[in-house]
Amino acid sequence: MLSYQQLTHLHPVSSRSKGSLRWSCSRKRGLDGSLRRCDGQEKADQSQRCAENRSSSFTTPEGDGPMSRCADWASEVEQEEMRMGVRQDVQRYRRRILTADFNERERKTSSGSSECRDSPIPADMETDEAVLMRRQKQINYGKNTLAYDRYIKEVPKHLRQPGVHPRTPNKFKKYSRRSWDQQIRLWKVKLHAWDPPVQEGNDLQAIDEMDLDDVMEIELEACDSAESEENTQCSKNTKDTASIPADSCTGTPSKVMKTEANFDLS
Amino acid sequence: MAESAKEYRIQSFDKETQSLLKTALKEPSKVDLNRVSTIIVDQSLKDHNFSKEAGRICHTIVQAEAREAGASVFRHHLLNRLQQEFKAREKTRCRSVQEWVHFVTFFCNIFDCLKVNNMPLMALVHPVYDCLFRMAEPDSLLNKEEVDCLVLQLHHIGAQLERMSTQRMDELFCLLRDGFLLQEELSSVSRLMLLELLEFRAGGWSLSDTAHKYYYSEVGD
Repeated sequence: MLSYQQLTHLHPVSSRSKGSLRWSCSRKRGLDGSLRRCDGQEKADQSQRCAENRSSSFTTPEGDGPMSRCADWASEVEQEEMRMGVRQDVQRYRRRILTADFNERERKTSSGSSECRDSPIPADMETDEAVLMRRQKQINYGKNTLAYDRYIKEVPKHLRQPGVHPRTPNKFKKYSRRSWDQQIRLWKVKLHAWDPPVQEGNDLQAIDEMDLDDVMEIELEACDSAESEENTQCSKNTKDTASIPADSCTGTPSKVMKTEANFDLS
Repeated sequence: MAESAKEYRIQSFDKETQSLLKTALKEPSKVDLNRVSTIIVDQSLKDHNFSKEAGRICHTIVQAEAREAGASVFRHHLLNRLQQEFKAREKTRCRSVQEWVHFVTFFCNIFDCLKVNNMPLMALVHPVYDCLFRMAEPDSLLNKEEVDCLVLQLHHIGAQLERMSTQRMDELFCLLRDGFLLQEELSSVSRLMLLELLEFRAGGWSLSDTAHKYYYSEVGD
C-alpha cells in the first residue's frame, strides 16, 4: 500500500483538502459515532483513508481541488469548463451583491442611518476555487435529474415559495462543510417530490434507485421536528454505518423505519 | 438539406450515415454519439479533405448538445478516441505515413475548432506540440507530405499555440532552423516551405508583402 507521502506525490493535495482534514479531525465524534482519540494515530488513519479515497478516482466531489490531475483529456476539459463557469459565476455574483449592496446603502442614508460600510465586496463570500468547484459538482448532480427537469418546468422562478419549493443552495455563502453537505442532501430530497411517477410493480426498482442519503433524510423527517437537536445527532450517528443505534429518535428501530419509509415513497 | 451536406463536407458518406450526421447536428441526444464520433474520426483518418474540415462538424455537435441537454457526451467520446490515437501515433506512422498525416491534420483542426468560452482546450496544447515536434524530426522532414502538413498546421494554429506556450514554440523553431540548415537530402520544395514558415513566424505570424510576392507570385511564362 502506498504511503500518504507517496500518494500526495502522485496526486498533489490542494490546501483546501488539508483544511478539510483538520476540520474532520477536530470533530468530537468519528463517522461511526464513537468518540475520537486525541492522539496523532487518529489523524494518520484519517489521512490514510482520505488518501485512499483520493487515489481511487479523480471525479469524486470530495477529493479534488484546482490541482487534481486528470489522466484523460475528456475529464480535464470538463473540469476546465467547470472552472471557467465557476469563475464567471463569481464575477456575476459579485456584481449582483454590489448592486444590491449599493441600493441598500442608498436606502439607509436616505432614511438617516449613520451606518457606513467601506468595502463593497462582501467579506464573507466563499471564493476558494476548490470549494466552489466541489459545490458546483454537487449542485450539478442534483440538477442532472429528471426530477429537477420536471420541477423547473412546473414551477417557474417567480412562483416559487420559500420553504415550500426546493431552492438550490447558494455556493457563494460561507458554510461549514457539514452544513453545506446537509443543505445539498435536503435539497435533493425535496426535489424527489417531482420524480417521474413509478409504475405499479416497479416498487423494488424504485427502492434500489434511491440512494442511502435520501433514506437517512426520510428517517430524519419522520422524527418529531421539535427535537431538531436530537435529529441532527441521529443523522450524524446513523449516516454511513451498518450499525443502528439503539436509542434513535422514536421507539421504532431504524431498520423498520427505513423499510416503512421505502414503502411510503412508492 | 444538400447545403448542410456541402457545408460540413459530408457528401462522401453514404445516405444513411449522412442522415445520421445531420440528426446529430440538430438533435444530438437522439443519436448514438459514440457511434457518430467513431464515424467522424475513422473517416478523418482515411480522407484527406475530410480531415481538414471535420473540426467544424464536431464543434457544431458539441454546441448543439450543450444547448439541447447541457451535456458533453459527444465531446467525451471524441476526446477519448483522439487520446487513443495520439498514444498510438508512432505505430500509426510506421504503418502509414498518410494516416499519420491525416491524424495530425484532424487533431489540429479540432484544436482550432473546439473551444470552451473561446479559449482553446488546454488539455490538447502539449499533445498538439508533441505531434508537431515529431514532424520536425529528421526522418519526417524527408517526407514532403509531412513537411507540407507541418507547415500548413503552423500557419493555421501557430499563433494560438504560441500564446499557450511560447517556450515550446521557440524549441520547435530551433528544430526547424536546424532542419532547414543541416538536413541533408532535404528537397528544395521542403526547404522553400520551411524558409517561408520561418519568415512567417518572424513576421508575427504573417508574411510581409515583399515576402508574399517572393513565395506566392505566379511565375511568368
